[in-house]
Amino acid sequence: MKNMVTEKHGETKDVEVDYARLRIPFGPVHPALKEPVSLRVTVRKEEIVDVDIVLGHVHRGIEGLAENRNLVQTLYLVERVCGICSHSHTTCYVQALEEIGEIKPPERALYLRTLIFELERIHSHLFLLGVLAYEIGFDTLFMFTWHVRESILDLFEKITGNRVHHSMNTLGGVRWDVDQSMVEEIMSTMKNLHKYVQQIHDSFQDKSVEKRLCDVGFLAKDEAIRLCVVGPTARGSGVDMDVRRDHPYAAYNDLREDFSVVVKEKGDVYARTEVRILELFESINIIQKILAKLPGGNIRVEDNIIKLMRRIPQGEAISLVEAPRGELLYFVKTNVKGGLSRLKIRTPTIPNVLGLKPMLVGCEIADIPVIIASVDPCMACANRITVVDAVTGEEETMDTSVLRRKR
Amino acid sequence: MFCGVKGETMDVITAFLLTFPIVFVISLLFDGIDRKIHARMQRRVGPPIIQPFYDFIKLLNKERIVPAMASSQIFTVLPTLAAASSILSSAILFTSVMSGTSFGGDLVVVFYLLAMSSVLVTIGGSSSGNPYGAIGFSRKMTMLIAYEVPLLLSFLSVFLKINSTSYYNAILTQVKVGSMLALAFPSMAVSAVAFLLCIPAAADAVPFDVSEAKTEIIYGPLVEYSGPYLALFKLAKASSNLSLTFLACTLFFYLPALFGDGDSLWLGAFIVCLLLALILWFLTITVPRTVFARMKVGQAFKFYWIVALPLSVIAVVLSALGL
Repeated sequence: MKNMVTEKHGETKDVEVDYARLRIPFGPVHPALKEPVSLRVTVRKEEIVDVDIVLGHVHRGIEGLAENRNLVQTLYLVERVCGICSHSHTTCYVQALEEIGEIKPPERALYLRTLIFELERIHSHLFLLGVLAYEIGFDTLFMFTWHVRESILDLFEKITGNRVHHSMNTLGGVRWDVDQSMVEEIMSTMKNLHKYVQQIHDSFQDKSVEKRLCDVGFLAKDEAIRLCVVGPTARGSGVDMDVRRDHPYAAYNDLREDFSVVVKEKGDVYARTEVRILELFESINIIQKILAKLPGGNIRVEDNIIKLMRRIPQGEAISLVEAPRGELLYFVKTNVKGGLSRLKIRTPTIPNVLGLKPMLVGCEIADIPVIIASVDPCMACANRITVVDAVTGEEETMDTSVLRRKR
Repeated sequence: MFCGVKGETMDVITAFLLTFPIVFVISLLFDGIDRKIHARMQRRVGPPIIQPFYDFIKLLNKERIVPAMASSQIFTVLPTLAAASSILSSAILFTSVMSGTSFGGDLVVVFYLLAMSSVLVTIGGSSSGNPYGAIGFSRKMTMLIAYEVPLLLSFLSVFLKINSTSYYNAILTQVKVGSMLALAFPSMAVSAVAFLLCIPAAADAVPFDVSEAKTEIIYGPLVEYSGPYLALFKLAKASSNLSLTFLACTLFFYLPALFGDGDSLWLGAFIVCLLLALILWFLTITVPRTVFARMKVGQAFKFYWIVALPLSVIAVVLSALGL
């Protein structure tokens, strides 16, 4: 259908208007989303023809805050970047500081860091699998998955005293040790967990679940490489990458023989889901190996963290870890006064969320929630500044150059 | 037009008026039991059984909100109509069983009232001006075509079998045969299966709740409804579920027929049928929504036209052949 539309400057223009198109706002508040992101989805009947991703609803200015705090205070600040991968953020940050200050944490500390890291991966993946089940209307599997996840949270509470923000890392080591009874308890939990994860794996192969997950949300391998997606999203599209193997940190160098990187070629939602389920088995395996060869000794180089902080000179470092959602990068630049002159966080969600558009176009409305969930977006990590005019709804995203000028 | 065996006209009217509070209480109670069992099957504690009553009262006391973009008259009138039509369908069924009376064509009326109540919900949703309401409307229309045809054919096979369109004649036939309709005739067994397959879709339960799919289109038609309107829609849904399951159990599985002629136990028969309806509710609504994932519109449509429709056609053919 052709319509005459008058433009702003008084010119008239032939514009094709397709009345079968419907633009639906998906988010920022939507039951399918666990965190605020807004998608403007254009649909024709049930088919998605265009997607516009709008970020910025939970920006908290963490990078700016970090520049006004000292190194130790920032340790607790970066833990709160994300609730689910809090340990990944602190590990990444602490590694950078240890690099600058040439502090070498004891072996046992590195193993304990890795232990919490893998426990966190299990808890994050179980969380996501539950959400995926919820998105496809399978509430029973959702409840079961989260029931299993509780046992990991209980372990966290017993080891570190906290269920979500573990505060395990400190400069030059970790804050809490595990004793023999704790080791046995983790071992028995892992044994039960293996059984439960097998059940979850079977449930995800159920036909009614497969019908919703297979052949939707394709992301081709070359597209995945072009968009630089990371983590399980990339591995589900056949990109063989994992920081734990490619740039080993913490104790992963010693554990290289004990895990393999799960890669699936297909690139649909089911492939990404399966990568995560199989990674659960790998993580359980890693944890059992860690507990078997846990070295003795101290858990940190120095009890007085302020003393350590003063030892860190001016300098800069880049640190990489494999967070549950993919590669997490920290650039840390310290100043002479024990503070930070720049902290740059590049969370895995930023590249992954870009992969949503090629995944969504061509699918049905019914697939939107499950496709979004399948990249496991963590919006609180990813947001930058957006200024929204409440009256007109116009939005202006501020990039670094604008911010620098205003300052 | 009453073809009653037992009741006088006055008795029938009294019974009919009595059924309204009964329908109200029982449909919400069954809804509560459904939620409790659903929760227990998921290892949750679940709400108290009378939670739907709390919800109903709470929602009734809330503010009435009509969106600025909605066509307000349609938006506000339809909840009442939907609740009225589904309660009426249950009331007609209950009156027949309790007073032993019915009128010719009442099964057709019940069929239309049931379809009415779900159509009204979706029209109300599409009048809200919300795009999710519009998507819910188009999805529900697709689903109506998918499940109403097998459901209608299933009714048709019963009409052919009992040579009448009267509900009470269906019960009388079972009493005369001394067995349940679904056990006595192969055509009715097939028809019963087709009917039961249609219940989850008619009740908008997972896996066929595509029109309400909360994680996809935020309850579709119900997205803009709140307060008393939502309360009425919830009531409409609960009583239409009750009506469907009660109809299925009396039409195909009239258990009292197995024990004597049924002449002396009208109230007893009614209670037995209600319990059976609860069991059918559990099997056709609670269990599917616990053990399956939601289907997409296309998948659900395909299921009904490949599985339920041939079954109901077979039922009609068998029934016409006199089996």
